[in-house]
Amino acid sequence: MWQRETFKKIKQIPREEHVLPGTALCAGCGGLEALRLAAKVLGDHVVYVNAAGCFTMLAAYPYTSFKGSWLYTTMGSAPAGAQGVRDALDVLIAKGRLPKSEDVKVVVLGGDGSTYDMALSSTSGALHRKLDFYYICYDNEAYGNTGMQLSPATPYAARTATSPCSVQHPAATTQEKKDIFEIWRAHRPPYIATVAPRYPLDLEEKFVRAAAFTGPKMFLALSACPTGWVYDPGETPEVAKLAVETGLWPLKEAINGVVTHTYIPKRKPVEAYLKLQGRFRHLFEPTVQTDAIRHIQERVDAYWQPVTKEQA
Amino acid sequence: MYAVRFHGRGGQGAKTASRILGTAAFLSGYVAQDSPIYGAERRGAPVAAFTRFGREPIRERGVIAYPDLVVVADASLLEDPAARVSDGITDQTILFVNSPLHAEQIRTQSKLPGRIMTLGVTEIALQHFGQREAISALLGAVAARLAGLQQEPLRQAIARELGDLGVAPPIIERNQTVALMCYESVQVMARESAAEPATRATIFHTPVYESPCRGTARISASGNSVLRETGGWRTFRPVLVADKCNGCWLCFVYCPDGVIAMNQDDRPVVDYAHCKGCQICVHECPTHALVAEREQEGGVAWTAK
Amino acid sequence: MDSQMMTGNLAAAWGARLADVDYIPAFPITPQTEIVEALAKWCERGDLAARFVSMDSEHSMMTAAGAAEVAGARVFTATSSQGLLHAFEVLYSISGWRAPLVLVNVSRALAAPITLESDHNDVLAARDAGFLQIHAETCQEVLDSILMAYRIAEDERVMLPVIVNLDGFTLSFTREPVSLPDPDMVRRFLPPFRPSHLGFTASSPQALGVAVIGGTSYAYFRHQVHLAARNALEVHREAAESFHALFGRRYDLVEGYRLEDADDVLVMTNAGASKGKAAVDAARAQGQRVGLLRLRVVRPWPAEAIRQALRGRRGVAVLDQNLAPGQGGILYQEVAACLYHEVLRPQALCSFIGGLGGQNISAGEFQAIFEQTAEAGVAGTGLGPVLLYSAEEHREMTQLQMLAGGNA
Repeated sequence: MWQRETFKKIKQIPREEHVLPGTALCAGCGGLEALRLAAKVLGDHVVYVNAAGCFTMLAAYPYTSFKGSWLYTTMGSAPAGAQGVRDALDVLIAKGRLPKSEDVKVVVLGGDGSTYDMALSSTSGALHRKLDFYYICYDNEAYGNTGMQLSPATPYAARTATSPCSVQHPAATTQEKKDIFEIWRAHRPPYIATVAPRYPLDLEEKFVRAAAFTGPKMFLALSACPTGWVYDPGETPEVAKLAVETGLWPLKEAINGVVTHTYIPKRKPVEAYLKLQGRFRHLFEPTVQTDAIRHIQERVDAYWQPVTKEQA
Repeated sequence: MYAVRFHGRGGQGAKTASRILGTAAFLSGYVAQDSPIYGAERRGAPVAAFTRFGREPIRERGVIAYPDLVVVADASLLEDPAARVSDGITDQTILFVNSPLHAEQIRTQSKLPGRIMTLGVTEIALQHFGQREAISALLGAVAARLAGLQQEPLRQAIARELGDLGVAPPIIERNQTVALMCYESVQVMARESAAEPATRATIFHTPVYESPCRGTARISASGNSVLRETGGWRTFRPVLVADKCNGCWLCFVYCPDGVIAMNQDDRPVVDYAHCKGCQICVHECPTHALVAEREQEGGVAWTAK
Repeated sequence: MDSQMMTGNLAAAWGARLADVDYIPAFPITPQTEIVEALAKWCERGDLAARFVSMDSEHSMMTAAGAAEVAGARVFTATSSQGLLHAFEVLYSISGWRAPLVLVNVSRALAAPITLESDHNDVLAARDAGFLQIHAETCQEVLDSILMAYRIAEDERVMLPVIVNLDGFTLSFTREPVSLPDPDMVRRFLPPFRPSHLGFTASSPQALGVAVIGGTSYAYFRHQVHLAARNALEVHREAAESFHALFGRRYDLVEGYRLEDADDVLVMTNAGASKGKAAVDAARAQGQRVGLLRLRVVRPWPAEAIRQALRGRRGVAVLDQNLAPGQGGILYQEVAACLYHEVLRPQALCSFIGGLGGQNISAGEFQAIFEQTAEAGVAGTGLGPVLLYSAEEHREMTQLQMLAGGNA
């Protein structure tokens, strides 16, 4: 049974903020919430290596939201940017040109578009080279910065700007969400975790646990997105909560490839989650698409069956 | 040529309003042009859109520097320097502000020139649609009226533009009905052309080389985004009912922007200069100690530095 | 100084070694691979105190190179052709970061059709990326140019990345004697890399490569890149003088060969210029007063040096080893532009395209260029673009097409 050792109570969450307000990100951004909580463990001695995405706006001339450093790279190669920064810091420290006390953590920020698509080769390379870095994917399940187009992270039946509902495709998106967790895990990095901002203690604990490992520390953060998922911004935690409680977003970690689920939900029916969001409204209006909803439920059930068996 | 500039916040439909006006002008037989400014700004941040129409080919593009009509979708924009509402406004400009306040109150508060008129479009939207952001057709209708366009092309334009956005036919019909109510509610104002200021050849001030410390897109200031206040994004503000608060920290923990701090007594202190009004704290407060209050329009509730 | 036989590739590797670089992200591509192979070996053996990392693509390689440079390391990397284009967007980022790394490009023609031998469409595609460009003629010049490149790049008045270009095969795989500069003297020539605007440290954080909103900031920063590149003209002169004083070899922005009394001048770049010089000698032997101007630094564009060299000539021929489809030779356009306001501009400016995909340029073709340029100069009318393509090559091509089964 997985237990939190550092973060047992809400009031242990550090008061200090490391991602400062005044950002141009949407009100109610679930990705920003995940980053803000992560940064409470990561601190300020960090260089964020950013891929093109919504977070690009966190440092827009002449303003930055960080007390740490930032490097905007490209959409397809932020992990390679992390490689360059990490290697340079190591070399400069080894050559005595930089005191060890000046070292910083290297943290990649990438959306799902970058992470699941264009930067996959670059990520695979960094994982393969056992680069000592953090990777935070803020996954809002579509190309969000360009206005919500289909990405490989888009789940079955979500409507996006490029996967609309039609007579041929009444359930909108026809393909399943790419399992990036398993793709990462196939590389056997020391630490992988999924997190959701509505579970702050689980999130904070995982960043603390990750810190013990040298090598790639990979985070997949559910980033509930009021703008793209079409719900009221105030419902971001509720949407994130239902993603977890329905079993659609498993909270888990993998240490050297060994998977542990950090929270076993009782699994509410998926409708509870789907109904909250405009991107799934076509599943309920004008008629209920029973087959599509059942398909989603069956996929969730199939995922959890071996997990619960193991637990028992 | 008649030039209309729309100011709104991301998500309020300023772009759609400018398109409704553009299409209405086009359907009226005018040469028309409309365009938005795409910033990297998100929902809630200031945006602008432009519509031009006339009898002659339009030889301008992009930003409208000297508008005949300015439509302001959110009165808080008047106070927000980033929105640049006042640019190019003269005594002749018609300035429409979405606000329940009287024009005179807006004039006194904003100190803007121009012929100001107001209508509480958000209140009308809340009343008829239950949504504060469903105002694009209503703003388009107000603009059409002030620009002297007829009702029928406006009706058609609303149908086309909302239809393109995938709005369901019954909702389009309701939009048309409410939009025509707004159309009837505003008085036509005769256009008074202000002479555009005479231009002179620009004196160039070509930059010279600077040290890469300054001459590179880099920021060495630390965490200075706090200088950008985002409080104006709010329509509703979270307000603490102190005796209901149990000091649980959840509002502080869940706030994406980190604008809630817990004081010595474990009570939340909201940084209203930056709170974007997402309402997460209101939704998540287990004791309902945080409530949403409608921002008072006209910059009363929040004043930019 | 000891001299030894080495390829252009090995000379490039020696340039990086003598510059005492800190970091080498690498990816193999013909005809560049030998460079990174040598560097990998030296890093492994401890001959060079740099970290060598095999990357997953040129796009990643260039990103890592730029990121390491902005973190404060002296970085070297190398690529060619398709690899340069695969990394293309990153080139603009690196110049925008003002990251003064050195990239060796071993020129190779671009697909399609895929091929291996040299022409300059690859490196010239990058001419507007904000990298400075030095195009080398000899293996010695490859090595020396890399040392000069670091000195110029890291100057506070420049702070821009540099591409040092050498031709695939005709230089990359060609051995000739190269004198290895003394490392202590190189240290005198090239001060340690301590940039004021770069580095990510705990105590002095910074955000780099940030987004800008609107054209005012964008235009300002890109214009700074332009000004920095213009500054490189003077910084190059200083570096050339210092290099000459220390090592006895002199490299200017352009190199004139037998220009003194030349009526007609042939303009070339890179290793092909050696053959051009031989053709000048042959033509001179026949009594033709011809000379050659080799463009060595292509970015910044050495307009004044070109004007000085070409002022008052009768005919000028630009032999481009590249082709801009629908336009012609790339360097021809730039030479023409910088002569426009020259009162004593040449009577005729002729454009020849040759050496595409490593196609041989024969002595007879050089002779034809000189003859046609002289005629054009006398007539006062320009010429071209003329593709250097002989009847024999045409016959060969027809046979190949027949074998390929191409129906007319």
